[in-house]
Amino acid sequence: MTVALIARNTFREATRDRVLAGVVIAGVLLILATQPLSPLALGEGQRLTIDLGLTGISFFGLLIVLLVGTSLVAKEIERRTIFNLLSRPISRPAYLVGKWLGLSGALWVVAGVLGLALWLLLVARGLASHGPAVLEAAYLAGLELTVVTALAVLFSALSTPVLSALYTLGFYCVGQWSWDLREFAHHFPAALGSTLAVVADVVPNLPIFNMRALAAHGEVTTLFHLGLATVYAVVYSGCVLGLAAAAFESRDFK
Amino acid sequence: MTAARLSPQAGRMLVALGLAALLGVGADQLAAIASRRLPRPHPLEELSYYPSGQRLEPATLGHAETVADLAWLRAVQYYGEHSRTDMRFANLYHVFDILTSLSPHFIPAYVFGSFALAQEGNEFGHAEALMLKGIEANPTSGRLAFELGFLYYVRPGGRELRHAGEYFERAARLPDGPTSSRRFAAYVRQNAGDLAVAWALWRDVAQNSDNRYLREMAEREMRRIRRAQRTGRAELARNRVTTPVVLFERNH
Repeated sequence: MTVALIARNTFREATRDRVLAGVVIAGVLLILATQPLSPLALGEGQRLTIDLGLTGISFFGLLIVLLVGTSLVAKEIERRTIFNLLSRPISRPAYLVGKWLGLSGALWVVAGVLGLALWLLLVARGLASHGPAVLEAAYLAGLELTVVTALAVLFSALSTPVLSALYTLGFYCVGQWSWDLREFAHHFPAALGSTLAVVADVVPNLPIFNMRALAAHGEVTTLFHLGLATVYAVVYSGCVLGLAAAAFESRDFK
Repeated sequence: MTAARLSPQAGRMLVALGLAALLGVGADQLAAIASRRLPRPHPLEELSYYPSGQRLEPATLGHAETVADLAWLRAVQYYGEHSRTDMRFANLYHVFDILTSLSPHFIPAYVFGSFALAQEGNEFGHAEALMLKGIEANPTSGRLAFELGFLYYVRPGGRELRHAGEYFERAARLPDGPTSSRRFAAYVRQNAGDLAVAWALWRDVAQNSDNRYLREMAEREMRRIRRAQRTGRAELARNRVTTPVVLFERNH
């Protein structure tokens, strides 16, 4: 109940933020901008539209996480509103989970709006059959943003907004390379290889959420892929929120 | 006793940490399954619809070399992946073309790309075009001239001795040309088509190249030449593109 209440307030606060509106507009403009670029792609304009549109969902979602998510907790501490909240019978883990759910909800809305804009553009170009692929790719992008939001909440509970943004961005970049790191780990000397393997295990394995190459051809992925990605996003976010809760419990606000 | 002494806050912290550890192990297992069973995203193939490296260059916002480095990592990975599986290198030339346009002085990219295209991809035309593009961008590179001579000398399907000799001689005249260039130029002039020369060229790569894939390629070629020499049919190694099955069956 408490979690739902905090989530609703966080969602409302995030959706009223001008940053979110600006980012959605920029995302729609990017999707539209693929049209004048299409002739340059030598017959591959459709791929360009889908690929850039889906990249836009991930990129602009990440931007919202960095601009809004990383100051979620810090802002409340700075404004001292957190004292009012935590003096009530609200547990700290519930507070963090509520924050995460609220912002994740706002990001799902963004992913949905941009996905819809992309699909409408494809329909206008006579490519409505690509809808399922775009829907799946947007769903996976939403899951990716949910995981990154959990990381932003963790860092936001531990550090300043600027450092939180840098840490989140760092994890995002290394997370995108996690499968490459696993691959490279086999080719390096044992010590370095083991370190790389550990890094690849710790960072979020974001390639799981990437089906842009498939969607660019209008191909859908398997149910196994979607299921695995969903379970992974829930489990990994749970792990990160567990760490965030432990860290937040140890913080002294006196 | 210990549990009784824990404060509620410490208790909650321990529960949260325990939960995080448990879920962390679960996430790790899922990630391992995913990396084994899900199709890999192919960013390299996503590059293939860019018209050329020149058009891509402005999009790198002044970081063309860095993007070329990333493309190089992807290209090596792409080669490794396909050389282990289907031996199909459909986008290899395009990728090396983009990467060398972003970084025209990236000599190892010309060398590796050309040999991979010629020896494994059966695309000598593209291999030659890539190397000539390198020579044009780096006219004073003795290393590149030497490698082009080498490429002509070991051309699958038939050596191009005149061109090989020409580029070995050119490498010998340039300051950073390998010291062996003059020797190979002489070999080519005197012993046209001698397998021992090809073997010596590949041995040099096998012993001195920093590139693991090139070393493996050289070792494969050296084994092939030795087999051809043992059977007394040198033309089998020279024309291996059309006769690999014959070579394979005779030696097993």
